[in-house]
Amino acid sequence: MSEAAITESRVLDALRSVMDPDLGRDIVSLNFIRNMKIDGATVSFDVNLTTPACPVKDRLREQSRQAVLSGVPGVSDVRVNMTAEVRRPAAPETSRIRGVKNIIAVGSGKGGVGKSTVASNIAVSLARSGAKVGLLDADIYGPSIPIMMRSSGEPEVRDQIIQPVEAHGVKLMSMGYLSGEMPLIWRGPMAHKALQQSLLGVNWGELDYLVVDLPPGTGDVHLTLVQSVPVTGAVIVSTPQDVGLQISMKTLRMFQQTKVPILGIVENMSTYICPHCGARDDIFGHGGAARAAESLGIPFLGEIPLDAAIRKNSDTGTPVILAEPGSPAAAALSEITGKLAQQISIQAFRSIPLTIIEE
Amino acid sequence: MLTSPEQGATPAEIRKKSGESITIRWSDGHVSTFGARFLRGRCPCAQCVSETTGVRLVSEEHIAPDVTLEAARTVGNYALHFTFSDGHTTGIFTFDYLRRVCPCEVCG
Repeated sequence: MSEAAITESRVLDALRSVMDPDLGRDIVSLNFIRNMKIDGATVSFDVNLTTPACPVKDRLREQSRQAVLSGVPGVSDVRVNMTAEVRRPAAPETSRIRGVKNIIAVGSGKGGVGKSTVASNIAVSLARSGAKVGLLDADIYGPSIPIMMRSSGEPEVRDQIIQPVEAHGVKLMSMGYLSGEMPLIWRGPMAHKALQQSLLGVNWGELDYLVVDLPPGTGDVHLTLVQSVPVTGAVIVSTPQDVGLQISMKTLRMFQQTKVPILGIVENMSTYICPHCGARDDIFGHGGAARAAESLGIPFLGEIPLDAAIRKNSDTGTPVILAEPGSPAAAALSEITGKLAQQISIQAFRSIPLTIIEE
Repeated sequence: MLTSPEQGATPAEIRKKSGESITIRWSDGHVSTFGARFLRGRCPCAQCVSETTGVRLVSEEHIAPDVTLEAARTVGNYALHFTFSDGHTTGIFTFDYLRRVCPCEVCG
């Protein structure tokens, strides 16, 4: 009766050898194992990860399977079902946007580094992995997300709540919608009010991730964001050249001063590969962001090559990650999204609740 | 790799004792207790500290001794906001600032 020896606790003991590489703990003590069923010599269970965009998903599946096969005598078949549930970081309930688990700010030091391109591709890529995603275009000076996501029409307002537009599986709101064709000529207080409305006055529903595309630099919109809601973390987009990087450092310090964790740096326009001869040309230099990340002790999320596919697909409204998934740019963006999702999970796991206990 | 901005002060626990005081236990274990009048007299807002010269315009001796904290709330991840009983509400007290002005015997 070897089957009788297979018990849930023996399977769990075997699974304790499988570590989540990001959180640095075994998947049993992290409470990832759900719905275990033992049927004769067949064991099945779910491994419930902290993000559907987890880049080590397949590795964890295989490790879990092997751990049970080799660690529990009598087991002949192991069925591992990978699921995910995005955890929310600890933060006071009152200051959150209801239903939104994580708010990810995407910032840059200067304009024109491809911040909106990175933000829209990350949003689409997270949504494609199965997460519920929103994208808020908070760049009051040049709202470009509606073009990049080809969302026509304007959001409806029902019961004084803005209903976001949906594009490529992502819920979308742009501060550009508030002004139509007119440029936004706003002083600080107006920008403040408009961002608060775009954050809190929108029917986001349940979201795992809300990606906020910020204006370049450090201004009113940034301050309003970090003062109004607990931001899970920030991504800094930079070009490799020194000037771009040095300015990015200011944006980085602003986030540090306001206690927004830095989830990582992305190097955009990293290198150019000639489509005719295949030669590589580092037009803006190369590797500057990786070096800066290392010296600052913050994660480097990856580099995106200059690729005509990005520009073409941004202009026609389908993020490159969907339009040309086989392109080098799409591959880079999808790797960056996976690393970012890992960092968000680590942050949510580490955060301590910041509440005021009234005595 | 650590992703939290480890520089500066991070609170581990924040307690408000009715209207009297706020006590912060910092992540390094240090404990700071700030009285209502102490905080009101160290408000960093532009009405209390001159924006052009940085000179403090309103300090503890200008404040009634019976001032209380009517409400306290967190600002994002990085600061506290207080409503004082004298109606003053414009200060944002960052955790870094609060850690710096800790009035305990060791720091003060």
